[in-house]
Amino acid sequence: MARRRDVAIGMAFAVAIAGLAIAERAFERVAAQDRSALQAPKFEVDPLWPKPLPNNWVLGQVIGLAVDSRDHVWIVHRANLLPANEAAADQKPPIASCCSAAPPVLEFDPAGNVVNHWGGPGEGYDWPESNHGITIDHKENVWIGGNVGTDAHVLKFTRSGKFLAQYGRKGKNAGSNDMENFGRPAKIFVDAKTNEAYIADGYGNRRVVVIDADTGKFKRYWGAYGNKPDDTDIGRYNPSAPPAQQFRTPVHCADLSVDGLVYVCDRPNDRLQLFKPDGTFVKEVFIARNTLGDGSTWDVAFSRDPQQKYLYLADGKNEKIYILQRDTLQILTSIGDGGRQPGQFFGVHSIGTDSKGNIFTTETYEGRRVQKFVYKGIGPVTKMDQGTVWPSK
Amino acid sequence: MRRNALACIAFAALIVELAAQTAAPPRFQVDPLWPKPLPNHWLFGSITGVAVDAQDRIWVVHRGGDSLNARTEMSAATKPPTADACCVPAPQILAFDESGALVANFGGPGAGYDWPRSPGGIAIDAKGNVWIAAAAAAQAPPTGRDAPKVDPATLAKADSHVVKFSPDGKFLLQIGRAQSPAGNDSKTGLNRPAALDVDPAANELYVADGFGNRRIVVFDAETGAYKRHWGAYGAPPDDADPGAYDPSAPPSKQFRAVSCVRIAKDGLVYVCDRRNDRIQVFQKNGTFVKEAFVSKTTMGDGSVWDIAFSRDPKQQFLFVADGQDQKVFVLRRDTLEIVSTVGGGGRWPGAFYGVGSVAVDSKGNLFTGENLEGKRVQKFVRR
Repeated sequence: MARRRDVAIGMAFAVAIAGLAIAERAFERVAAQDRSALQAPKFEVDPLWPKPLPNNWVLGQVIGLAVDSRDHVWIVHRANLLPANEAAADQKPPIASCCSAAPPVLEFDPAGNVVNHWGGPGEGYDWPESNHGITIDHKENVWIGGNVGTDAHVLKFTRSGKFLAQYGRKGKNAGSNDMENFGRPAKIFVDAKTNEAYIADGYGNRRVVVIDADTGKFKRYWGAYGNKPDDTDIGRYNPSAPPAQQFRTPVHCADLSVDGLVYVCDRPNDRLQLFKPDGTFVKEVFIARNTLGDGSTWDVAFSRDPQQKYLYLADGKNEKIYILQRDTLQILTSIGDGGRQPGQFFGVHSIGTDSKGNIFTTETYEGRRVQKFVYKGIGPVTKMDQGTVWPSK
Repeated sequence: MRRNALACIAFAALIVELAAQTAAPPRFQVDPLWPKPLPNHWLFGSITGVAVDAQDRIWVVHRGGDSLNARTEMSAATKPPTADACCVPAPQILAFDESGALVANFGGPGAGYDWPRSPGGIAIDAKGNVWIAAAAAAQAPPTGRDAPKVDPATLAKADSHVVKFSPDGKFLLQIGRAQSPAGNDSKTGLNRPAALDVDPAANELYVADGFGNRRIVVFDAETGAYKRHWGAYGAPPDDADPGAYDPSAPPSKQFRAVSCVRIAKDGLVYVCDRRNDRIQVFQKNGTFVKEAFVSKTTMGDGSVWDIAFSRDPKQQFLFVADGQDQKVFVLRRDTLEIVSTVGGGGRWPGAFYGVGSVAVDSKGNLFTGENLEGKRVQKFVRR
């Protein structure tokens, strides 16, 4: 018995020593790995993408972006919220020869031409008070949410804009435990394998909801750390307080990776929380943790290699895109800065990638653009913050 | 022999003359990567003036924090900051070289002068001195549900002066007192002057006065002494409000928003009568010469925001920035006929929102500044 205990202690000791040795080697590896040894995808902005819009169209706040299987880029913008002096040709009588609000949903081909456009109120559905978020699923259907007032639903259309379904009823949100309606849903992601839609819900509610993508039936939902969501007001974010046990609104993205992790943007909490598809909490990471107000974690996209090795995170408050290594959640570098020139941002809001690895971004507030960042391969990281990434002249 | 030579010369002159008459309008291509990104996470506010100096440096004046959104745009400049990385207002006067590198910056309150609450246009005189107009409207009382009650007497009055600095930002001269708006007959005061230009020949300062008054007023550029002033058609300006612009009414006898004044080499003075959608042309003494309407049906802020001249010896073309129709018109200066346009609405390179300033360098390249939420300076390369 005594002997057996000694053996157990000895084994435990050996395991501990081995563990220490492994940890030490890992530590040495990290220490030796100065920043210049890090590798990350490189990008430069294409200042002339997309092409000028036709018909004197201008964009409102661009608050959703998706890339489809043809590498077409879809955006949704707040066409209805343009000021009169900007949508001056739409006024009755017109104020000036320019400009007109573009239709809310625009589809660009890879060259940057507008190839289709639609959106707005129609028969059989409630167009959102303020549309928000767009995705195109494996069946080529287009989903949008809405983030203001009575918006309690998501809409599904064919890619040509024919109405297919509305899930949730306008004005009927009953809070974060409602099993039929949403609370100003921000973004939709559809899992082709299970035909389930993940809804970042949202500006009113504090949860992720998973529904059947064909019927809209609620399957499951969860709050921060996988907790039951609670709509009690938790006040303003305080970076020095213990991490909040609930999401702070808006819950701004919920995207699923190839290895089955759901990345949730808990925007005003400056964090991403990762879950299994069943809602089991996996881990969290804080980003620019001192950021107040709108917060730092606005939207995510995955790199297009088979393993999705990198995660791109849009921060519309610090005006940059962070490039993270997805397995460690380490920030490798960032691109972008504040401003109105190419490669700069004002309220960078939504992000997506095409099959070639290019990044596309949209800007809300007065940014009001969609921009393309051309993928230039993997290379050593030379700067933590690259700032404005321009092509050489 | 001698007659042949003369004929030859005459023929050559005729060719030149013909070439001059048929010169094609200049064509441009936007340089999307000009200027270089600002340092220090600086942002432009709404741009109110652009000028080019004798060294082809491009000077820009903008409204700075006054025009930037504290919650979303200058998050690193608020107390406390709400973001670490971005952004803060840039100094309000910036100069760039031809490559787009920032070569000078200054601006802000200092001893001996009143910094504008909100600037108007900018001009660089023959000595390289920097003039800016102070164009802010009277401060509006706070509105909204939670707005504090404010004693109207504590609200700022309209800006009413112009300030002259050396090229390195040393204060030289102020004309008019701050927050002391004066009427159309004042010889000492101004009311929201919008823009200015300096006539090197007479060393006189021309002020487009402006958003409050309805006149051009001329001062000695050295002493600031009043010289003369005039209103639309060279008539005395009138303080009476002419009301809203009506394109179908007879042309207004008074200016509505005098937003620019530019002196051509041949001595003609071009005035932007912005909300009347027209250019009026004068001699330097205020004698009316002619007028031309540009996009006459434009309502709102009007069509004629700023004017620049092409850089050929005869200044054959006129560029008119129209921040309501979001384009720059190219006009023949002799006929004031529109021959071309540049731009369109939008936030991408080459598109505009509120293009209100225009200037040309010695190579004929065009520079624009965008007011409102445009907040960019752009370069259009002469092709």
